[in-house]
Amino acid sequence: MKVSLNWLKNYIELKSTPEELADTLTMAGLEVEEITRRGEIPAGVVVAKILSREKHPNSDHLSICRVDAGNGNICQIVCGAPNCDAGNVVPLATLGTVFKDPEGGKDFVIGKCKLRGVESFGMMCSERELGISDSHGGLMILPEDYVPGTPLNELIEKDTVYTVEITPNRPDWLSHWGVARDIAALCGGRRSFPNTSVPSPEGFEDWSGLVTVEAQDLCPEYTARVIRGVTVKESPKWLKERLESVGIRSINNIVDITNFVMMEFGEPLHAFDTRFLEGKKIIVRRAQDKEKIVALDGKEYELDNSMLVIADACKPVAIAGVMGGEYSGVLPDTTEVLIESAYFNPTSIRMTSRKLGLSSDSSYRFERGVDRDMLENASSRAVSLILELAGGKLVSPLVKVATLKPEKPRILCHFSKITSLLGMEVPNQRMVEIFRALGLGVSDITDDTCLVTVPAFRADIRETADLAEEVARIHGLDKLPKIPVNAKRTAAFSSDAYAALEQLRNQFIATGLCECVNTSLIDEKAALGDPVFGKDDLLAVSNPISLDLAILRPSLLPGMLATVKRNVSRKNNDLALFEIGRVFCKNREKYPEERDELVILMTGRSHPERYSKERAATYDFYDVKGVLEAVLEARRVSSYAFAAAKDPRFTDGVCARLEIDGKTVGVLGKLNDRMTRGMRLQHDLYGAVLQLEPLMGAEEKSALYVPLSQFPPVTRDVAFIAPLDMENSRVIDFIRKAKVPNLISVEIFDIFKGEPLKEGTKSMAYTLTFRSDERTLTDQEVNDAHEKLRAKLVSGLGVELR
Amino acid sequence: MLNELLEKLSAITAEAEAMLKAAATAADVENAKNKLTGRNGSLTALAPMMGKIAKEDKPTAGKAFNEAKNTVQSMIEEARGRLGGGKVSTEAIDVTLPGRKWSIGRKHPVNQTIDECCAIFRRMGFTVAAGPEIDTVRNCFDALNAPADHPSRDPKDTFYFDDGRLLRTQTSTVQIRTMLANKPPIRIVSPGRCFRRDTPDATHGVHFHQIEGLYVDKDVSLADLKSTLEAFAVEFFGDSVAIRMRPHFFPFTEPSVECDFSCVMCGGKGCRVCKNSGWLEILGCGMVNPNVLRNVGINPDKWQGFAFGMGIERLTMLKHRIGDLRLFSDNDLRFLKQF
Repeated sequence: MKVSLNWLKNYIELKSTPEELADTLTMAGLEVEEITRRGEIPAGVVVAKILSREKHPNSDHLSICRVDAGNGNICQIVCGAPNCDAGNVVPLATLGTVFKDPEGGKDFVIGKCKLRGVESFGMMCSERELGISDSHGGLMILPEDYVPGTPLNELIEKDTVYTVEITPNRPDWLSHWGVARDIAALCGGRRSFPNTSVPSPEGFEDWSGLVTVEAQDLCPEYTARVIRGVTVKESPKWLKERLESVGIRSINNIVDITNFVMMEFGEPLHAFDTRFLEGKKIIVRRAQDKEKIVALDGKEYELDNSMLVIADACKPVAIAGVMGGEYSGVLPDTTEVLIESAYFNPTSIRMTSRKLGLSSDSSYRFERGVDRDMLENASSRAVSLILELAGGKLVSPLVKVATLKPEKPRILCHFSKITSLLGMEVPNQRMVEIFRALGLGVSDITDDTCLVTVPAFRADIRETADLAEEVARIHGLDKLPKIPVNAKRTAAFSSDAYAALEQLRNQFIATGLCECVNTSLIDEKAALGDPVFGKDDLLAVSNPISLDLAILRPSLLPGMLATVKRNVSRKNNDLALFEIGRVFCKNREKYPEERDELVILMTGRSHPERYSKERAATYDFYDVKGVLEAVLEARRVSSYAFAAAKDPRFTDGVCARLEIDGKTVGVLGKLNDRMTRGMRLQHDLYGAVLQLEPLMGAEEKSALYVPLSQFPPVTRDVAFIAPLDMENSRVIDFIRKAKVPNLISVEIFDIFKGEPLKEGTKSMAYTLTFRSDERTLTDQEVNDAHEKLRAKLVSGLGVELR
Repeated sequence: MLNELLEKLSAITAEAEAMLKAAATAADVENAKNKLTGRNGSLTALAPMMGKIAKEDKPTAGKAFNEAKNTVQSMIEEARGRLGGGKVSTEAIDVTLPGRKWSIGRKHPVNQTIDECCAIFRRMGFTVAAGPEIDTVRNCFDALNAPADHPSRDPKDTFYFDDGRLLRTQTSTVQIRTMLANKPPIRIVSPGRCFRRDTPDATHGVHFHQIEGLYVDKDVSLADLKSTLEAFAVEFFGDSVAIRMRPHFFPFTEPSVECDFSCVMCGGKGCRVCKNSGWLEILGCGMVNPNVLRNVGINPDKWQGFAFGMGIERLTMLKHRIGDLRLFSDNDLRFLKQF
């Protein structure tokens, strides 16, 4: 909303500068977003009268005007405005006038110039060019009695206008009177109430049947007054200036007065031409379903039974509180007007406005709630202005149909609760002062409490916490004391939901992977790109913003594949990436609705070619596995195993599953062609998809110290020829189960196949490490154990020793 | 005798200086060294003279001799250093070749911010709490005192599912869940992903990350909130950051406050980023609305508390001067490696 300081000055004296006041208001919750100066017309702009207009010989839209710039100075101006007609009085920027760029850019200086071959000695200006309003449809037309040659800045009122952001809880700020109230509370001073005196109506007509309210739930109060014999004409300059300063276009005196009162008191009014009120009746009723009305914007709206209309004896004439109908407006020949001032149910107005997609300054205020106690004042103010500016006679009393007003809420305010909530000492007396300055009633003051009566315009105040906000606002949040932050703990640190995740993430980063964050909403095709999921597994939002963003990702894989593709297309060919994130599944037999998942993808070179004989290596299965092993080891998970597996996303034979405590946690391997189709990869893509929960939970207990052996280890090797399908894990298991005394580790160190070995066989070689915690082992006992194991390998595993 | 020695010493020192200054190669240096301190060097040759010095002059002579020797030695070392002289090692390598660099991954900047925020608030006694991203209207709006016709509930702004549930628009859902499951005192922060039905552009996405805080106890006040946020601002952006509080309106807090940080770009002098105000709107906060406490069965006459919430992406963009939100989900390796 826009607030004019000149307008405010009608009600209250402003003691501080516009900048200071803007700051004061912002710090009290009425945020001033922009400060605009109006009427700062550059020197050199003068009043001028157009003497003649001729068509430019070389242009369709330009005219050549002879203009009286005053003091006998007649000059030729080439002008493109449609309204540069002879006789018009307009602003003229004479040669040498400097226009400052509001953005701080280069100044614009008016100089003599040739436009399509014709000389021009200045520029006639629109309102926008002068910074008076946004109007740029043509030249600004000045009153005919302005004397040519007079500097315009002597004639245009200077004003400062704030653009303010009004929070939805403060409809009372949607008016100058309301803003002035807070200024009085903040800066001191008293507001003076504008003239609302109304003469007693003349004549003895019976108006008792004028207004019928059929839907009192939606219209608790309706008032009307009739004025006869008005003259519809242009508004006086002061009224136009007021409205224009707050961005409202002047239409005619009657409409302008209703808008003026709206901006003054925050009460939207409507003026009906009584000629178009069939039966001279106002019926406030619900619309019939499918009832139609053409509104003032020229569009037809179809209404329904939840909406309120103002109707005459046979048709709706306005969508109540939102917009008038096409015949409800004030026309140039209108002579009798009915002034409506009413209170409509805010929710009803909001729903109507939303359903119709139609909002207005009026609906904006009604849906936030107008001050019911100001209805009559607003009506009187409008009537008094109409009688003054449009003439006529008031011929009706205030015709009013109203329900009982709700009782004003009373709050037993505990001063100590307010100081406790704020954490600052404010004297009780000061709090009472603040409440009163804001228009709240205060009574029954004791040392601890007072009784606060809340007026209708502050529906946001309902309990002590609300009063605390008023004290904070007006007393000043900058007065809050600095107090030390104590780290008092209220819950066990072990209940921290995030620590384990953070640690796991750091561990993957330590292995060299870069973390990605992809979007949760994807399109169906991408979601089904992970063949583990079918359509029935996908969770879709019912109101997606577009089909690209309709499905909650069932897996991180589609997003990560897209990330790899994008990077490779930008020549980031060497990638080791991971993401930990939330994924969703509709089919709860398959997965919980929400769970966290980990995806790793690696492709390209694991380390680059170097200058010496070291060759570049590319990522393969064992890099992915190695990352997982490293992290599992760091997390002290010992009960894990990898086993060959089949998975629709991975290449057969290059795929394994990871088990922890015998339960499958995820799969890893080489992504198959189906998954990488269209990605234009330079190298194979390897990856893993894992459930996060088992990984996070795997390290609950703290590690217990195992004493370090003081005695040296002894190693022996064993090599044998085994069938080609002999898995390393089978050998390790076999040796472990053989319970060889003092054997503490078995590690494979060589594996090969081909010549001179027989087809279908391979050679495997292991290092066995023996160590005791109690003594130095003798060669003899190690050799015995070694020999026994060799024999067992032959008999139990069927291998041929080498 | 003493004088003769001293003269010779100073002559040798001068000669040494001349020779070593003139040396152009490492070999020149070694040559000079031989001539001076070698077996037949001029300095070595003076050693026998020492024996002939009178007893009372010996300390002076000895001291002068050693000084001269040290001076010559250090001149030789200096020349060797300059010309890379001395023994040429057979193990010499080019130390300017690149190392076999260990690769350490990077944390995504959004998660770096989340982790940093959590760390700061943990130091102040907060515990981190989490919750689901799909939640109920009750946890996301009703319990948080959002009016029944509040625009944020509108399907224009919030993603819904056919069963009436929604994608949380704020992590305040975790506050509700925590207060329902625990008795006060409660002191948590909840980071996480939230969803709003915004068309993606440079400053909007369909989701963003948030961190919210909640502290409910017997005497928690607005002054505590201000001090907590001040501590956070300084920890996160550095000592020079100031904060200010402005009254605002949110349904879930009363009093409600918007908290600005002095502009981290211009230091508060005014720039394009802060629209010349010197302040950046960073977070919304306030004292928990008594209705919210009632909604979770906490008596607002006995307990009170503060709550705050801020956007992770905004903090990250300000901290690292990132101009486009879309970079976060683009995951270009060149971007990720910058943080």
